[in-house]
Amino acid sequence: MSLVAHELRLLSRQRLTIVALALLTLVTVAALAAGMTEVARQRAAIADIAAAQAEDIDAIAAWVDKSKDAGSAAYYSFHPTWDAPAPLAFATLGMRDVSPYILRVRALGLEAQIYDGDTFNPELALPGRFDFAFVLVFLAPLFVIALFHDLVAGEREAGRARALDALPKGGRALWRRRTLLRLGLLWLVLAAPFACAALSEGVAIVVIAIVLALIAAYLLFWIALAALVGRLRWSSVANAATLAAAWMVLVLIVPTLANVAINQAIPVNQGAEIALAQREAVNRAWDIPREDTMRRFYANHPQWGDSAPLGTEFHYKWYFAFHQNGDESVSDQVRDYRGGLERRAAAGRALGWALPSVGVQALLTRLADSDLTGQLAYQDCIRDFHARLRTFYYGYLFHDRMFGTTDFASAPKFEHTPCTHKRIRATGAASLNLSAKTALDPPDLAQVDGVADQQRVASALNDYRQPARRRAARYRQIEPFFGTFNWAVRQNSAVGADNFDGRPGRAAHMHLQSDRAAGR
Amino acid sequence: MSVTRLIARDELRLMMRNRVAVIAFVLLALLTLVAVASSWSHQRGIAELRARHAQAADAAFDAQPDRHPHRVVHYGTFIFRPLGPLAAFDPGVDAFTGNSMFLEGHRQNSANFGDARQSSLLVRFGQLTPAFVLQVVAPLLLIFLGYGALSREIERGTLRLLMLQGASRGQVVGGKLLALGIVALLAGMPAMVGFVLIAGKPGALALPMLAIASGYFLYLALWTIAIILVSALVRRSRDALLTLVALWTFAVVLVPRVAPDVASAAVPLQDRLQTDVAIARDLRKLGDSHNPDDPHFAKFRQSVLDRYGVSRVEDLPVNYKGVLGIEGERLTSSLFDRYSRESYAAQTRQNALVGVAGLISPAIAIRSLSMAAAGTDFAGHRRFLEQAEAYRYGLVQRLNKLQADDVRYADDIAEDAGADRRKRVAADNWTEQPDFTFTAPSGTALARGAVPGLAIILSWLAAAAVLLLMATRRLGVRR
Repeated sequence: MSLVAHELRLLSRQRLTIVALALLTLVTVAALAAGMTEVARQRAAIADIAAAQAEDIDAIAAWVDKSKDAGSAAYYSFHPTWDAPAPLAFATLGMRDVSPYILRVRALGLEAQIYDGDTFNPELALPGRFDFAFVLVFLAPLFVIALFHDLVAGEREAGRARALDALPKGGRALWRRRTLLRLGLLWLVLAAPFACAALSEGVAIVVIAIVLALIAAYLLFWIALAALVGRLRWSSVANAATLAAAWMVLVLIVPTLANVAINQAIPVNQGAEIALAQREAVNRAWDIPREDTMRRFYANHPQWGDSAPLGTEFHYKWYFAFHQNGDESVSDQVRDYRGGLERRAAAGRALGWALPSVGVQALLTRLADSDLTGQLAYQDCIRDFHARLRTFYYGYLFHDRMFGTTDFASAPKFEHTPCTHKRIRATGAASLNLSAKTALDPPDLAQVDGVADQQRVASALNDYRQPARRRAARYRQIEPFFGTFNWAVRQNSAVGADNFDGRPGRAAHMHLQSDRAAGR
Repeated sequence: MSVTRLIARDELRLMMRNRVAVIAFVLLALLTLVAVASSWSHQRGIAELRARHAQAADAAFDAQPDRHPHRVVHYGTFIFRPLGPLAAFDPGVDAFTGNSMFLEGHRQNSANFGDARQSSLLVRFGQLTPAFVLQVVAPLLLIFLGYGALSREIERGTLRLLMLQGASRGQVVGGKLLALGIVALLAGMPAMVGFVLIAGKPGALALPMLAIASGYFLYLALWTIAIILVSALVRRSRDALLTLVALWTFAVVLVPRVAPDVASAAVPLQDRLQTDVAIARDLRKLGDSHNPDDPHFAKFRQSVLDRYGVSRVEDLPVNYKGVLGIEGERLTSSLFDRYSRESYAAQTRQNALVGVAGLISPAIAIRSLSMAAAGTDFAGHRRFLEQAEAYRYGLVQRLNKLQADDVRYADDIAEDAGADRRKRVAADNWTEQPDFTFTAPSGTALARGAVPGLAIILSWLAAAAVLLLMATRRLGVRR
């Protein structure tokens, strides 16, 4: 029998080891299941948007069609945006339970809408989620301690250490063998369930490989720490106590201390000030001459300057002009606020180079795009979409065009914005881009015209489909082995356009069909 | 000196000789001090910031020029959630619930700019507060100090020596318990001193403070008894340590994370998009204000005309648009209330499920006790949301009434150049509107919220004490 098999047999006789490995397996599987359930629920919520939105917008279209007033349509129409979970989100829910992943916006001032939150129970969010990242960062080290605290000390206390050193293939080789065996078993217990779950969720192979390497590296760190403590030649009890204390300091105490330090060092208080200032600027427009508002708006958006001058009665183009002016008046504060948030996120990630627990969490949330950077990227997509919405409605408002039921169907859709496609591609292919491009720069207006045209939609969908087709090919190879999971995931994402198996969802089909039916 | 006290003194001496234990104890005291200081300064900074913003918002509201009342309904007002005095000890859900809310007509907004959405990933590792130190760190320190109390004696055979000397089992266990209890008291002392300093302002609520103090006292007593119990049951020290660390991980780290997941899966919450769409749908059924032929509003118009005994809207002594605004706001607010009541009920059910998990983890019980007494749990947040909604409704309806009484209907529907000037009401109306003041809950209400957690910890304590009595009787018996 090989030496490794022999060591395995010896290991199987230690009750503590068997119990620890079994417990870790149980907890890992439970955490993965919990994460997958939550992500499926979020995908289902996103899939339910289409029906609710259709009902809502049809009711508005019904009464706007009587007056054909573009301003009323722009004022009352809410447009949904959403942040679909990345394939790896089942392993690290990150901020997805406290930050909104669905947000409805309308063409009014965005700064008053973009910071809104969704409904969630704060008491449930307080302790944190039970997901794979929690098991890896918090619990795996305890199991490492359970298996390694008495590796050498236990033999020494039993009086066998000298004998083991004297054996042929003993001494250092023996300890190496035993260490590698335990490391291998721990890694297997964590990695195998994760790999199964990740393959069924459609995570890219590169990402899976990175996470598996990360698991091994994190376990190695704790094993190295255990070896260091072992060199002090204390009793196994003292080893266990010291390692548990080290765990508490590295995983529980230092991150919370660092959080206090970072938040003190980088104050971010502009949020309420932005809201107050934007409201003041918007409402002030009612008290200043209307021509001032229009002049300021045309200065920043000259392409609409050829519009007819205002009469004495109320006109919605003036209303939307001062909302946009209000947004622009707080753009500096918004930039500062966002800069502060990005600096805080960067400081947290920087700590990850010093503290492995923080580093693992930072890397996992970045791969799953569920950290603050991901939230800011989602807000960028909302800004991009809002700009397209405004351009769409301005086309009607500033040129005094009628807005009927068919025009409702041609309004920009969130799933067709290039920002959304880029994010799906980026998170699907494990972009490690740690800084999100800010969309506070004006969008490329050459790409956007007032009317959705089939060519643009088709080309955007094609952009989206290409990498998805490659993923779908790989997916189909492994599909037969993961039938149930696949079915569940696809059922949940079937209606949305952001499918992860390359098929555009039903919603995208509907829009293409409606465009074709409208003869465009 | 009695036997028990002798044994306790000996155990304490042994602990002091353990240098690692002393260092750990000192570090815990330091950590508590840092937690108290940072928590106190953080809460003070927050309170100052919110007070400043609230003042700015109120000043902006009062400084409005002459405006049409409906414009002021959309101008709205910003309110900022104040913190109770005990929030510095246990901020609870404060980081997760937003700091400021925008109140306006026709809409119910969320509370925004909470710490959790503005911080780095480190915020989800936990918050450094005295409550955290007492709930999570102190039990682990007690475990390190006390795991070997009885198992060491059994291992080395000194238990038999003690009993030969005439010490009874009860006295041995009592002595160890006394020693660890003194250490627990000393460990909790810095946090409690900090608590009294933070919260001991004049007029601070005595009953919740008493609830918190007794709750943590019982919690640490529970851990003391549990540690001695495991030490008595397990023969080897190493197994005692591993068992206790496993118990701690299960009760303090694992169950508080698993229970919320189970609760949120069992009781789903409707997200905001679905709620808004449902409210819009119900509103259309109740009365579609956009539809001129809507039956509800037609009946309403007729009832207003009948009340004033006129036949045309233009002849009414009040502005019909203002009256219509009052009715519309009443309808929408009744729907907001219904849906938010359902949402609160769902969240209360979720929290009750988590509370049931307190039966297997006293850490959940102490956390809910601590948050409830500090007023920083979900019930506390709900209190604020309900008061905010009541204030919003009152303000909007007062403004609508202003529109009904002080703006003439003919001016309101006019579209000529001077109509805008005529529609406005004087600016001193805005200063007459009362500012939002949060009515803090009474001490009794807060203490009542802490009772379930206290009851669970007491029952845990009783169960542990009974088990310890049983284990004492069988101490040292060869198995």
